[in-house]
Amino acid sequence: MSNAAPFSTRRPTDWATPAMQSRVRRRYRAERRFRLLGLAAVTLSGAFLLFLLGSMLLRGAGGFLETRVAMPIDFARASLDVDPRRLQGRAADLALAGAGLEGAVDDAAVAAFGPDLGGRILSDGAWLRVREAIKDDPSVLSRRVVMSLPVASPIDVAAKGPGSVEAEAVVASLRSGDLLSTGLNREFLLSADSTDPTRAGIWGALKGSILTMLVTLLLAFPIGLLAALYLEEYAPKNRWTDLIEVSINNLAAVPSIIFGLLGLALFLGTFGLPRSAPLVGGLTLALLTMPVIVIASRNAIKAVPPSIRDAALGVGASPIQVVFHHVLPLALPGILTGTIIGMARALGETAPLLMIGMRAFIAAPPDGITDPATVLPVQVFLWSDEVGRGFVEKTSAAIVVLLVFLLAMNALAIHLRNRFETRW
Amino acid sequence: MSNHPPKITATHVNVWYGAKKAIDDVSIDIDQDSVTALIGPSGCGKSTFLRTLNRMNDTVANARVQGDIRLDGEDIYSPDMDVVQLRARVGMVFQKPNPFPKSIYENVAYGPRIHGLASSRSELEGIVQTSLKRAGLWEEVKDRLSDSGTALSGGQQQRLCIARAIAVDPEVILMDEPCSALDPIATAKIEELIHALKGRYAIAIVTHNMQQAARVSQRTAFFHLGQLVEYGATTEIFTNPREERTRDYITGRYG
Repeated sequence: MSNAAPFSTRRPTDWATPAMQSRVRRRYRAERRFRLLGLAAVTLSGAFLLFLLGSMLLRGAGGFLETRVAMPIDFARASLDVDPRRLQGRAADLALAGAGLEGAVDDAAVAAFGPDLGGRILSDGAWLRVREAIKDDPSVLSRRVVMSLPVASPIDVAAKGPGSVEAEAVVASLRSGDLLSTGLNREFLLSADSTDPTRAGIWGALKGSILTMLVTLLLAFPIGLLAALYLEEYAPKNRWTDLIEVSINNLAAVPSIIFGLLGLALFLGTFGLPRSAPLVGGLTLALLTMPVIVIASRNAIKAVPPSIRDAALGVGASPIQVVFHHVLPLALPGILTGTIIGMARALGETAPLLMIGMRAFIAAPPDGITDPATVLPVQVFLWSDEVGRGFVEKTSAAIVVLLVFLLAMNALAIHLRNRFETRW
Repeated sequence: MSNHPPKITATHVNVWYGAKKAIDDVSIDIDQDSVTALIGPSGCGKSTFLRTLNRMNDTVANARVQGDIRLDGEDIYSPDMDVVQLRARVGMVFQKPNPFPKSIYENVAYGPRIHGLASSRSELEGIVQTSLKRAGLWEEVKDRLSDSGTALSGGQQQRLCIARAIAVDPEVILMDEPCSALDPIATAKIEELIHALKGRYAIAIVTHNMQQAARVSQRTAFFHLGQLVEYGATTEIFTNPREERTRDYITGRYG
């Protein structure tokens, strides 16, 4: 400071000089430029998001729909040997299957569309619709009725968009007879995977995802939260806790497939838990999610003002009362944000679940957390690998379901967070 | 000054933060019936000393306290002392008003509730009302007890913190620069309050403001560089200090 000019010799600043004016103008230009850049970034990411959602919805919409063909079935002439009294309750399925309903439906298709087309026009699952219709109203067994039944995959593909030349011709002729209609594919939302695209459903994978997420949440949230609380509130600050902190941070950055290998070796190899089960998937994803929850929770706990702790200690609250009455309620919004991020990541994980066998073909939804199952992202992966043309739209539809699940999960978490948010 | 034994006796107290010594061999008695002011320049250790009296320094990771501090003859640093109970008996008001982000009622009711001081809802309401009245806040907040405590003005917040402290019926109240974040009018109200509370609670107050020390206290301790320079009747300290360092400080030569 010794060589600074004394104030008396300094000339008063002239704010009107051209140099000063141009400096001011430059400052405003920089400001505008920066704002435009920011706006461009936001617009670009918004456009990407819209493009993703738009294209998925456009392609996936077909996956939720099915093409049906109107077909007459004359039950009176078909030689169905069914005792009407047995068409009650659970015995009905057996009775109808035993009576040769599937064959009768095939015969009706051949009668309606000729021997060539009749053999391949209907979806494999079409007779199941007929079965449900009979169970709803057994009186049809004595009549001739026209039913709308789902068509086989190649014809379905051709009806919704470009298909094989042969199938296109079939669709054109059916359309001219006004026999085709479109309806909601309820089976897609209610059944599990199948080799036939018209019968493949998302419910198995969705239920698998829900069970897996439940296991993950129930393990990762309490363990992560308790670990964060202990490390922040109780643990002494020494070399060991530093080491633990570094390890947790590193764990959060480990590639997910390595957690899959760990799960494979530990849960399947050492503990002998069932392969492909949501239990093992959940355990593996909990390993992956826990560090994220620990880090976010520690930051949220750290952000609680020390004055609040002092205040509570000052009136004689015990350390655990300080934590549960004051620190935790104030940190909860941040902790929930971390949990959302962790769970969203876990929901989208595919690689570690492939390692523990969740890529198997599972044709029935899991009944519990130890049943074989698959999850939504793995189902997307599996269907995207299928040869059948019908699986293309199923893949997109599965992505739509995955995104809707993700949005629902986040909406719930944000709702919870806002409820716990305290203003000061 | 008084004819019964002091409420708190601190003898040969030393405090370290890591390797740095913050308090050097301080001995002070805090009287039951008077207000004791701790004054001194920034960093002289007066706040640190205050916080040893209810063991708030326990929460500082590398702080170490040595010496003998007794509350009614009980060693507060003995392993038998329950810190939670100690802090209920020795309440504290902090520099910055720090109400909980909860309603005014909840702020005051929290202490009695965790210590189980009220057996019924109406008894708790009674405690809240008495405490707020004693803190001179009742008339201003009686119609909005369910509003957030953080929505009050700074001075009101500090009086709420005092109400919160007296709700657990402490024997001693420690005040760590309670007016440093307040305007002169709010400060005057707190000082009036200290006058009103005197006698019922033993009060120790840390302050930067020498006029304040002169106005509210009967006894004053002057700290400098971690040492207790002089301790005696406030009138003596301000009119006829024994030590030159005290005289320099109160005449504004440094600090």
